[in-house]
Amino acid sequence: MSARTFLRSLLAFVVTTSLALTNVACGGHTARTLKMRTALDEGDPKRAIDELEDELNVDTKGGYPKQVVGDDALLVLDRASIRQSIADFKGSKQDLEVADKAIDMLDLSHTTADDLGKYMFSDSAGRYQAPPYEKLFVNTLNMVNYLELHDLSGARVEARRFAVMQKYLRDKAKQDDNVISGLGSYLAGFIYEKSGESDEALRYYDDALHFAYKDSLGLPVARTLPKGSYTSPRLKSASEGIASDPIGEDEGELLMIVGYGRVPHKIANRLPIGLVLTYYAMYISPADRATANEMAITGALTWVNFPSLAPERGGYARPDCSLDGRRLSLDGAVDVSAEVRRQWAQIEGSVVASALTRLITRAAIGVGTQAAGKGIAKASGASNETSGVIGALAAIAAVVSLTAADTPDTRSWETLPARVAILRKVLPAGSHTLSMEVRGWSRKQTVTIPKGGWATVSLMALN
Amino acid sequence: MTMRGVLGVGGALCVAMALSGCGGKEYVRGSQEPGIDNAAMSTGLDKEDIQHMLSENLNHLRSAPIMNEWRSKQPPPVIAVFPFQNSTSEHIDSQLDAILSEAEQWLVDSNTVNVVARDRQNQMVAEIEGQAHPAFNPANAARYGKQLGAKYFVTGKVQAADERTDSARRVQYFFFMQIIEIETGLIKWQHKAYQTKMAR
Repeated sequence: MSARTFLRSLLAFVVTTSLALTNVACGGHTARTLKMRTALDEGDPKRAIDELEDELNVDTKGGYPKQVVGDDALLVLDRASIRQSIADFKGSKQDLEVADKAIDMLDLSHTTADDLGKYMFSDSAGRYQAPPYEKLFVNTLNMVNYLELHDLSGARVEARRFAVMQKYLRDKAKQDDNVISGLGSYLAGFIYEKSGESDEALRYYDDALHFAYKDSLGLPVARTLPKGSYTSPRLKSASEGIASDPIGEDEGELLMIVGYGRVPHKIANRLPIGLVLTYYAMYISPADRATANEMAITGALTWVNFPSLAPERGGYARPDCSLDGRRLSLDGAVDVSAEVRRQWAQIEGSVVASALTRLITRAAIGVGTQAAGKGIAKASGASNETSGVIGALAAIAAVVSLTAADTPDTRSWETLPARVAILRKVLPAGSHTLSMEVRGWSRKQTVTIPKGGWATVSLMALN
Repeated sequence: MTMRGVLGVGGALCVAMALSGCGGKEYVRGSQEPGIDNAAMSTGLDKEDIQHMLSENLNHLRSAPIMNEWRSKQPPPVIAVFPFQNSTSEHIDSQLDAILSEAEQWLVDSNTVNVVARDRQNQMVAEIEGQAHPAFNPANAARYGKQLGAKYFVTGKVQAADERTDSARRVQYFFFMQIIEIETGLIKWQHKAYQTKMAR
């Protein structure tokens, strides 16, 4: 090989490697949302929305990309949560409805090729598949939006959409112990009770009682049971000893929903191969373990990249709420973070196993490329020594490129509240002064309870 | 292959990849592209679905006994057309408004009834329900009708069976229309039409 040709090869390699290293710097989805999270941490939700819109590359405020596909759907979900936290309920419901369809289509489009891509190329190569708690949260949060807007018809649509997903997750995906299911059922029950559909309300209350809410639902169940025909041991137990008096003509009901903190989001993790083989031994097949050990000894495998969960934010805060100057105690909060961690624990092993498989594949490709590169150089008339160098460089280029393309899948809906607490209270009809405060975020307003009617007020402190 | 050849193939691939990302969007007009309405874009209701379900119901109404009764009445009876209820798992309220307007138009064109203007109906709803939440309440439909001086009201509802599997979502719509005599509360005519949408 002439010196000129060798120089050209080297130049091509340098360009390839530089491009690859540029990609290495890309931290996946969490890098796209870092500015948004920082703005939220600093208590600036409007800036967080601006950062998301920059990332979505939209021209107008509240706008959407030409097509909400791929990971953009997650950014729209994040914007929906933040818009809800600043009481932009119309904007939030619009975002949730757009993202709901997009997430559903992504889920339905998921194929074996997506799974194969995860094992062969990159953890984030496949289409995003929302975990069950995210799927249920889309409609749950949108029920809150419609309740805030006092639109029972729209709220019922969301309750029905929630029920379709809940049934799918229970019957087909065998996910019947999701606490978000209980929260959604509670809200759906409230919606149907206020719509005058007692049996539907009781069915949802029954489901909510499977998870918790016995104290909060005792009175509503007691007053709804005589109006409907549906009953169950749980409903009877919840309403035992409670008078079934209906809400008085001069009274109404207030529903308060307080969400605070943020669930753990995913972060890119990097561990030495030895530690991974020890920590996650139970998830790795004996064949992969043997190959990995062999390659680790020769130095062909060093580090494994895979996603893990960051700590939650603000889960231990205590909401401070008062009505007409009197302090209110909210019911035990739903621990959304615990559900996130529980569902992550179910798939963590397979995520690490696929990362290791990719690592082994890359190392094998490197060995193959080295031999091929050496062969081509030799055929072009290069000396043994030069061929060896070119083969080694080709192997490095191939492995670096594949490593660069392998991004840990850090995609998730990052702006879900870590906890959600609920309170409902029968009040005299008329105006009341309500104050809600948690983690430095507050909402103070005069709420009007119509005679025999209801009102909903929410606060989502996502800092 | 020589280095120059490799570079050539690489360059061609880069150009091809770059061009594949340039699939620019354009706006098209239905009159220029007649098949534009054929494709289903979502599991919601579109123009094709609305026309299919509405024509099924209105064709049935055309030959129903109540229409014959109205044709023979002088002066023609006053009819109110009340909102159709959305009992589905899709946000189709704007489509239901379109159905309502089409049904209203059909009744006006039939020259057999006098139809109460929608503005007047909305005023009445606001008077009865209060200005704070002036939303139509189906439970008070007869009361609105009486106040409007109507003898009948036309209403309806769309229900749906929505099912989900790992790879598909199917929504089966059931569109009911009915005519109710305000004084007696009797259903004088009712008919249904079906439509199914699926994402797979």
